[in-house]
Amino acid sequence: MKKINLINSYKQLLLLAGMLLLLGSYNSSFAQEDTTQPPATDTTTTPAEEPPAEEEEPSLISPSIDFTSVQKGDNSIDLKVGMRAKVKGQFINLYKMKVSFFQVANEEEIPLGFKITDGNGKAVFNVKGDSLKTDAEGKLQFKVVFAGNKAMESAEEYISFRRGRLEIIPVKEDSLLTVQVKLIDVGTGEEVPVKETAVGIFVKRMFLPMKVGEATTDENGEGSVEFPNNLPGDAKGNLTLLARLDENETFGNMEAAVVQPWGVPVSDKPEAQPRALWSSHPPLWMLITFIVLMLAVWGHYIVIVYELFRLRKEQPNAPTHATNS
Amino acid sequence: MELNSYQQQAFDYQRPNIEKFSKRNWFWIIFYLLWIIAGGYALYLQIAKGHGVTGMRDNVVWGLFIVNFIFFIGLSYAGAIIAGLLHLFKVPWGKPIVRIAQMMTIISVIVGPVFILLCVGRFDRLHHLFFYPRIQSPMTWDVMAVLTFFVGAVLFFYMAIIKDLAVYRDANLKIPKWRQKIYNILALGYRGAASQKRHLLISQNLLALIMIPLSIIVASILSWIFGMTLRPGWHSTIFGPYFVVGALYSGCGVLIVAMWVYRRMYKLDKYFTDKHFVYLGYIMLALAAGYGYFTFSEYFTHWFGSEKWDSELIHKLFSPGEYGWWTLFANLFGILLPILIVAIPATRKVNLITAAAFIMVIAMWIKRYLIIVPTLETTLLPMQDTRTEYVKYAATWPEWVLTGAGIATFFLFFTLVSKYVTVVPVSGLEEAEPHFTHHPHHQPAPKKEEVNPA
Repeated sequence: MKKINLINSYKQLLLLAGMLLLLGSYNSSFAQEDTTQPPATDTTTTPAEEPPAEEEEPSLISPSIDFTSVQKGDNSIDLKVGMRAKVKGQFINLYKMKVSFFQVANEEEIPLGFKITDGNGKAVFNVKGDSLKTDAEGKLQFKVVFAGNKAMESAEEYISFRRGRLEIIPVKEDSLLTVQVKLIDVGTGEEVPVKETAVGIFVKRMFLPMKVGEATTDENGEGSVEFPNNLPGDAKGNLTLLARLDENETFGNMEAAVVQPWGVPVSDKPEAQPRALWSSHPPLWMLITFIVLMLAVWGHYIVIVYELFRLRKEQPNAPTHATNS
Repeated sequence: MELNSYQQQAFDYQRPNIEKFSKRNWFWIIFYLLWIIAGGYALYLQIAKGHGVTGMRDNVVWGLFIVNFIFFIGLSYAGAIIAGLLHLFKVPWGKPIVRIAQMMTIISVIVGPVFILLCVGRFDRLHHLFFYPRIQSPMTWDVMAVLTFFVGAVLFFYMAIIKDLAVYRDANLKIPKWRQKIYNILALGYRGAASQKRHLLISQNLLALIMIPLSIIVASILSWIFGMTLRPGWHSTIFGPYFVVGALYSGCGVLIVAMWVYRRMYKLDKYFTDKHFVYLGYIMLALAAGYGYFTFSEYFTHWFGSEKWDSELIHKLFSPGEYGWWTLFANLFGILLPILIVAIPATRKVNLITAAAFIMVIAMWIKRYLIIVPTLETTLLPMQDTRTEYVKYAATWPEWVLTGAGIATFFLFFTLVSKYVTVVPVSGLEEAEPHFTHHPHHQPAPKKEEVNPA
């Protein structure tokens, strides 16, 4: 009797579980409908004229432009642009965007040219400095313009800095290496030394430049830094020395470079590797063991195959017996 | 070819087996072919869609294919060692079973490497292994070893059947002409002349002598693919002998099962006697003890050392939520069961020994899985933001179907070879006959010792 009761109670439990499942699925199906169709009571309280938030016209993306300049040692200027925008809470680089460059002088915009941003949203436009004329304050002003498109708003940015010149002079006295720098203000057409300004001395490396020291200019606009003689260079020992003035309030960024054979020559060709487990040349003992083992086994095989060939040669002229069932 | 009366009797008894295919043969051949066709479809999917159809991913780069490769190639090495030892030591009771051992050698060495080819992602770069080999790499050693072993296995099998081929050539078998021609060519004009016997014996001895150490070396090289790698559970000095014993052990099991199947299939009770099962059972027991010792030593050392990643792997292998039940099965049924079955006289019976061997073979396959997959799932660097399927391996249906196709190929070859060559070597019984004559218990199967097929 107990067994029967137990079975019955199991059946009841199963039935109950089944009903609950059905009820659950029934409720959940209604819940799904609720999300797609708001209940009638809601529509009465919500004004019909007010469109839902999703139906608003999608707003255009507002790009931001990072505009910087570098006055270079060869008297040219690099105008650097970085474009990005915040989309769905994340900054993305805007690539393949056309940006136009202008020089602004006496409220007049002189078009210089355009560039297309690369995969990182960056573009560099080089302007020859000889053709540029400074304003009354000895400054140069540039403008970059992004015209906008169907998805993005237009954007523009200005940059202004005083015209200057940074020189780098390598000096070698006996075994002592020194890098001299000279910073001159040329905004007004006259050469005026810039004093008490820190200029960084760097060496160009594979990724970012490596800082060697910092020179502070004197009243002649000159400064110097002792240069180490143990830096690895290229195959001929050449090093690219850089003098850099970064984010200066007056001159912006300035840079001058010179190549000097002051490094320790490092061959760009791979060195002959020793015989080792890790190199492309195996250790000799390993090679010999491998060859000896292979020769031993395959040598046996050759002897065996030769013996098999001799079987046919030594075949008696006439068959001895034939087995028949 | 001249045969003595005992050889003639053995040949006459097996003659129908190589003269015609029975309906049952055809049924099984078609069944195996269907599996192989299904495998072909899975392979097509793998080629068309890439290895994404398998469960192998960035971390667990080896799965069922490599498990199968190790399993089958192990059988091959075992077959060569067993056949080589039986030949060299002229073990009288081993004469009838040496052919099965050699069949296992050659069939496994064909089936096993196919799984490597299935596992290779860039098939188009396979030739780089030969054109730009890196002698320091265990992979290069293994490729060279398997190829060398393959050639040895083919020669070993061929030399062992030359005498029998000469018998078939001269026997006026009721077979198609093309088969007769092939027997004629392959028999190499062997007529049993004294000089021919000498040359063949020298070759066979020489090859048996080289095949035994070669099998041990190649099995060790296979183990070094794992052992030389700095991974938990793999980087072990005992992996060489562990793999050799493991291969021999599972090979012994397959030999017992194959012997039982052939005995039933071709009613060979006369040649595969109860004693063969018992003797092979004893060998299986000794190997089980050896394998159990290695397994215990391996787990115990890793557990006691408590090295972080080793401990994680041991935990994974023994926790019921992960591989615990499989580990228990592999060790209980793979090691303990065969020992008990053979050790207890009451259970030391043909069918029970065979059943134990069969279960052991399955357990040994699982053991190979437990060596490979859990280790690859135990990453040495912490993994973040990675999908579960990239860390945890689960074999997909194409992998299972291809595994089934490989096993079907293995069985298909066993069926086909037994239709072209007698399972019990006819001429191989030559030297055994005087022994059988002198020792009544080795007489060709007295009626009371015969075991009827169950």
